[in-house]
Amino acid sequence: MDLKKLTISSLHEGLVAKDFSAREVAQEYVKAIDARDGEVGAYLTRMSDAALAAAAEVDAVVAAGGELAPLAGVPLAVKDNMLIKGVTATSASKMLEHYVAAYDATVIEKLKFEHAVFLGKTNLDEFAMGSSTENSAYHVTKNPHDTSRVAGGSSGGSAAAVAAGMALAGLGSDTGGSIRQPAAFCGVVGMKPTYGTVSRFGLTAMASSLDQIGPFTKTVEDAKILFHAIKGKDVHDATSIDVVMKPFHYAPKTEDIKKLKIGIPKEYFIEGIDPAVTKGVEEAITKLKKLGFTFKEVSLPHTKYALSVYYIIMPAEVSTNLARLDGIRYARDVKDVKKLNELYVKNRAHGFGPETRRRVLLGTFVLSSGYYDAYYTKAQKVRRLIKQDFDEAFKEVDVILSPVTPTPAFKIGEKTSDPLSMYLSDIFTIPAPLAGIPAISIPVKKYTVGSGELPVAFQLMGKHFHEADILGIGEMYEKE
Amino acid sequence: MISREEVRHLASLSRIELTAAEEEKLRHDLGAMLDHFEELKEVNTDNVEPLAGGSILANQFRNDEDSTNRIGNDAAVGAFPEGASGLLKVPPVFE
Repeated sequence: MDLKKLTISSLHEGLVAKDFSAREVAQEYVKAIDARDGEVGAYLTRMSDAALAAAAEVDAVVAAGGELAPLAGVPLAVKDNMLIKGVTATSASKMLEHYVAAYDATVIEKLKFEHAVFLGKTNLDEFAMGSSTENSAYHVTKNPHDTSRVAGGSSGGSAAAVAAGMALAGLGSDTGGSIRQPAAFCGVVGMKPTYGTVSRFGLTAMASSLDQIGPFTKTVEDAKILFHAIKGKDVHDATSIDVVMKPFHYAPKTEDIKKLKIGIPKEYFIEGIDPAVTKGVEEAITKLKKLGFTFKEVSLPHTKYALSVYYIIMPAEVSTNLARLDGIRYARDVKDVKKLNELYVKNRAHGFGPETRRRVLLGTFVLSSGYYDAYYTKAQKVRRLIKQDFDEAFKEVDVILSPVTPTPAFKIGEKTSDPLSMYLSDIFTIPAPLAGIPAISIPVKKYTVGSGELPVAFQLMGKHFHEADILGIGEMYEKE
Repeated sequence: MISREEVRHLASLSRIELTAAEEEKLRHDLGAMLDHFEELKEVNTDNVEPLAGGSILANQFRNDEDSTNRIGNDAAVGAFPEGASGLLKVPPVFE
């Protein structure tokens, strides 16, 4: 069995045909992690014994002649801000170092129902806040293509695990680009679904009007399979939506996919984009033109304000969500205090890293009396204008194509001293979650950057609930 | 720009204890972000309703039934950092 060639669909076929057992596959991945993760640092917690036991259950189903679900026996990496019962869920924070999940997140429950295999919990920027995993309280995840560079973030661990063959697929969460940016840096597929399609119950909340769970995979076809396994309405997440109920149900045929018109937003092709990224995106456009897709220039005039809008709304929600981490219920490292307020301030000072403090303070500022309207309300109004830009563009085209990031993976330490330059690496991924629309990062190939080669990707953004459009075009692209 | 006093006030509202060096670093970082946000003043937002997010804005209802079984009381209580007899232990609120 060649792990490099394995996909979710070929694994399924191999298990059904009894070419190999699920336990053998899980064992191979455990070995791959043993061999490679010392260098890459994708995982925070490993679950090898549980993984082998879960794989053995899949083999028992095969032996009994039972049917296998699409995700049965698929070895997965899960970002450490999602809860797996009985396993630590640190969110890469000191605050939750010893926090053990008391229940399964809904996405985990769905995957367990399909007999998926969990290899472990992966690294991230603390509470999913960052673009490089350098904000992890534990270690930096390195890019498997060049270990002097970042894997991206915040879901850098899951992206690197899939890219380095240390998981067949993975789960991440995307708030401003935390799935798509590391996917682009690591050369794997990553999708942020429409807001509301995947339940966030059991996901440690960062910015609730933006957070969405999505897949990391080697192929677009696999992303589709994993997305369909985790989506669906959940009574425990009031923002989740039943997409198979009318009027949202949307399942185009292949010939309908071919008719889709692709928009190129001129505001996304700006100065300062690395030549390798430009080449990669041009190559993707050329290939899609050859496949018969038509292109049209569109305008999303408020794009340049998306970064400011995001860095007001997101910290506001962060400061609110993280208020629950008060040293009372989840963890209490500083215990020797006499007053309640002292318990709060000392535990939060001990538990939160620099980026978390920065965002909590910024969020507190934009929500505080006297500044609320000038910053928070203003940002919410411009957010509507950004969404209306997409609404207008989607009257002319079906899908929008853009770069995912302005540059390929940057060097470790390159942007840590200047938060604003780090934030700018997310300028092309931030608008989609502000508008709530689905977006996918699809690898093109590796390009020469400096003395080495790095992956470059392109992004497809679709209409609300039209994951089928971006997945459909992506599947045609990867088969060509 | 933002003053050291304001940073201290924000830290107090956020219930985070900061060192003097952190106060200075945060004063600088927050100042840079607030300067960047100035660009939003260019945007005409007259008669624009704020957008809080969400894909479908409709109320979500469920039946008023007990739904605690999924997590289980013991597991939730067991996760408390300090507890006794199924209760959460906290320092005194009143002195």
